[in-house]
Amino acid sequence: MKHLILPMRMAVIGIFAWAALSTNALAKDVVIGFTGPLSGPGAGYGRDVLNGIKMAADDINKGGGITVKGKKYTVKVEGLDDRIDPTIAVNNARRLSSRSKARVIFNPVFNTIAPLMQINQQKTSQFLLMAYSSTPKIEQIPNDLTVSIPPPFTAYVNAFCDMAWKKGWRKGAMMVTLGAYGDEWREAFKHHWEEIGGEILADKPANYYTETDFSAQLSAVIATHPEFLLIGGPSEPTGLVIEQAHNLGFNGGFVLVDQAKMDYIADVVFKGDLSKMGNVIGVAPIVGLPSPVIPEWNKRYEKEYGVHDTFEALLNYSATMIVVHAMEKAGTIDNPQAIKAAFAKVLPQDPTKVPTPFIGTLGPKLLITTTAGEIIDGKYTKVNQYVWWTKDEAAYMELLKSIPASDNVVTSWLPLKGYLQ
Amino acid sequence: MFTKPIHIKLFFLAVLIAALLLPLFISDAYMFQVVIMSILFAIATCAMNLIIGFTGQASLAHGAFFGIGAYGVAILTKAGVSFWLALPAAAVMAVLIGLPVGLISLRTRGHYFAIVTLCFGVIMWIVAGNWIELTGGENGIFGIAPPGDILVPLIGRIDFSSQAAQYYLALAFLLLTLWALYRIVYSVFGLTFMAVRNNEALADAVGINTFTTKLISFEAANFIAALAGGLYAIVIGAVSPSAAGYGLTFNFLIYLILGGIATLSGSVIGAFAIPILMESLQFLQDYQLLIFGALLVVVIIYFPMGFVGGLRRLNQIIADRRRRKKSEAVHVSG
Amino acid sequence: MELFLQQVFNGIMFGSTYAIVALGLTLVMGILNIPNFAHGHLYMLGGYVTYFFFATLGLGFWLSLLASMIILGMVGVVMERVVFRPLTGQPPINDFIAAIGSLVFLEAFALAVWGPQGLRITNPYPETFQFLGITMTVQRVLVIVAAAALIVGLHFFMKKTVLGATIEAVAQNREGAMLTGINVNRVSAITFAISTATAALAASFLSPIFMLSPSMGAILGMKAFIIVILGGLGSIPGAILGGYILGLIEALGGGYVSAAYKNVFAFGALILILSIKPTGLFGKKEA
Repeated sequence: MKHLILPMRMAVIGIFAWAALSTNALAKDVVIGFTGPLSGPGAGYGRDVLNGIKMAADDINKGGGITVKGKKYTVKVEGLDDRIDPTIAVNNARRLSSRSKARVIFNPVFNTIAPLMQINQQKTSQFLLMAYSSTPKIEQIPNDLTVSIPPPFTAYVNAFCDMAWKKGWRKGAMMVTLGAYGDEWREAFKHHWEEIGGEILADKPANYYTETDFSAQLSAVIATHPEFLLIGGPSEPTGLVIEQAHNLGFNGGFVLVDQAKMDYIADVVFKGDLSKMGNVIGVAPIVGLPSPVIPEWNKRYEKEYGVHDTFEALLNYSATMIVVHAMEKAGTIDNPQAIKAAFAKVLPQDPTKVPTPFIGTLGPKLLITTTAGEIIDGKYTKVNQYVWWTKDEAAYMELLKSIPASDNVVTSWLPLKGYLQ
Repeated sequence: MFTKPIHIKLFFLAVLIAALLLPLFISDAYMFQVVIMSILFAIATCAMNLIIGFTGQASLAHGAFFGIGAYGVAILTKAGVSFWLALPAAAVMAVLIGLPVGLISLRTRGHYFAIVTLCFGVIMWIVAGNWIELTGGENGIFGIAPPGDILVPLIGRIDFSSQAAQYYLALAFLLLTLWALYRIVYSVFGLTFMAVRNNEALADAVGINTFTTKLISFEAANFIAALAGGLYAIVIGAVSPSAAGYGLTFNFLIYLILGGIATLSGSVIGAFAIPILMESLQFLQDYQLLIFGALLVVVIIYFPMGFVGGLRRLNQIIADRRRRKKSEAVHVSG
Repeated sequence: MELFLQQVFNGIMFGSTYAIVALGLTLVMGILNIPNFAHGHLYMLGGYVTYFFFATLGLGFWLSLLASMIILGMVGVVMERVVFRPLTGQPPINDFIAAIGSLVFLEAFALAVWGPQGLRITNPYPETFQFLGITMTVQRVLVIVAAAALIVGLHFFMKKTVLGATIEAVAQNREGAMLTGINVNRVSAITFAISTATAALAASFLSPIFMLSPSMGAILGMKAFIIVILGGLGSIPGAILGGYILGLIEALGGGYVSAAYKNVFAFGALILILSIKPTGLFGKKEA
């Protein structure tokens, strides 16, 4: 059994060599961490999020970096792949916080956000978790160092129901992606749609991540003769569903869950041919957003990263801006509590500076309007912008002053239960 | 074979002392985390070694039984049951679920057994993702509290949310597992496992009930895998379908084969070496998996018996050469 | 009734792809005894290569298909030579690990070259028509026809040509074949090439209908395995029948019962059949 000595010895040497190699924290850098899917299913989504963060850091650095207590810092983004595996995500977060001294870490998937919320308040390795997930489940876990970035998806549910109802649609059928997000979405949509008096004729979820042929489920839902289909998951397969539904003879409309983006589908899947989409309700196309910096931002983004712009990139860009500006206001780069507390001082964001300005905070949530758009007969219509958190008309009117507006945008008040203030 | 020379015993003692003192030397939460996870994976890999390495049955449902342990502990502790009760209960649950699985799948052999167990594994993974009422669906179960503080005489209060406490907890289970496996493998009973692996027909002919032997080994492996899964649940604090997925099975398999199949130390070495290797390849970013995939192929070609197997062969070669030299020397002098 | 027919049509189309993919796998697994778990990923690579010729270089659909088959055939030869031949004589579990290494490599390769976004090629035959009250696209019918043609073609190849007979001889008795002077290594390489080229063919026909993504091969590869085992290791009729059975089970189970548990039907069916017949539908008595 002599042969056992060598492996043990080598393992010990290996561990130390590895420990020595991987320590690298440079002075004068402030590190923003990211862990998320960069390969495997969800990789496109993860990259969009990371691109947004990187672009914000680039813009800050181009402007000379940030100044905290008189000292200049360059913002450095460190992104690690976790393939939505909780073990890797926790390792990554530990690595980012212990080795790179990141005190702010972004993560875009609930399955990995939940385990990170278990460790981000430990005294020895605290970090501010910037969670990009629209599930209300995040708010169920008490955690003082978590910020949830996107609007709750239920705000979209209400907005889309409102628009579909006004179009005269009454009977719908659902074929949404499987998985936590899809399950919550279709449950919430069905509940709300039936509450306002509509009807759901069929509900056949499909896996938008692993499956690619949706004809089995599609023929089943189309057979119930709905006026519209609620569909969606990642944008590309959602485009396929639209095409396959048309091929199967369906000529009603579509409502897209907020993960699927109509402009992305039109540009990437249908090569810009809007007429192939039919009538669609969903998250507003980016070009329709009210901020004046959108066109320039869009162009720069697509040039820099070679992919279509998405809301994921936009919102994480804005959120990163909040973080670094809050560091300046708080006068610290390594106290996550102080950084979070300073958020209030940098909000609302200026719509002439950031493309999707956040307006305020509410508990762990950052506040931003939900924007919904429509395609009718091959053309984008005006964008609807909804304020969902004010408790009454008066507060809404007061808020209107700080909300970006344009001729192309209709703003209205759509209160969302559970979030009113 | 059954007793070890004194210097080997001393070596193991040294490793044990080093392991016990490790938290004093690790100040870095990241490294600590990787080590803790490696210990958990080592426990599961050791269990896999029992059924695959020693009994020769390629069970690919291993990740699912790990998952049953994880979900079992998550569900029970959420329902208010103490972790110390929930852990054994979850492991027993894995054995109960393993019984019909084993009864059906062990009727098949070789590739067929591997695929049938893989199917069971995939089914349990799908169920974990869809039985929303029980498992929370794809979101899984989150906010699992670590075991409550316990008061130990002399040491004082142990707070299991600290990494050091989690480390010792995991280490205790790894040592327990290694001790149990050592007792099994080097017993007469363990020899029947290997007899089944080496030649099932012959084992049958000499009166070994091969089916029962395989079933016992399968169930023992499931029991231990579930214990590892239960520990995972409280260390990570959230359980989702990936904790019961076939990806885990493949990981364990890689640790097992590259570490050295059918050797007790190989499983542990594999479970430490590969995750650490993966972590140190992180700097390659997009090319990390490209390199890892290629590395896997190269290693399996050149070290088919894994790390420990490779060292054994090296030892063998050196010993042979020495012997040859000695005999040559004898020739010359004679 | 319409709905039922539609599901059956979908099931047959799915089954056709499964049958071709499983056919390639059963050749490699039954004849060379290599559990090539990376088969689904070779299918994925075939799809991307077709995309490269069709969308990037602008070749026509049929030319791209041919090019993809040739390139994947070569990839098969290289893979056999570099990855699996050095493992001859080692336990099958080592082949399995090597296959996992290969699939990790292939997926990372596709991700590095083509990125994570789904890609697809424009459908060359998007026309739809009605038949027996169900809607079909020409491309989908083409998948079914092409699969049938390939199956018939492969049958004649195995039964009527010398090369085919040689492959069968190796499958039946490797040592015996070697003694009669057959170059077993050459046969292995050719078998691998046929296996990967058929995977590329399946991927080419499906790439106008489905999105290409680096991880698309994982589930398909696993299903191919299940079909091969279901049909009985190395049995060509078993793989074909198994493919169609799986396609139908999925389409009907997914359409009528529950899409979430669609794969459970497929995997459950295998367990059921193997618990009755432990060596598969057409398997030899003892594996």
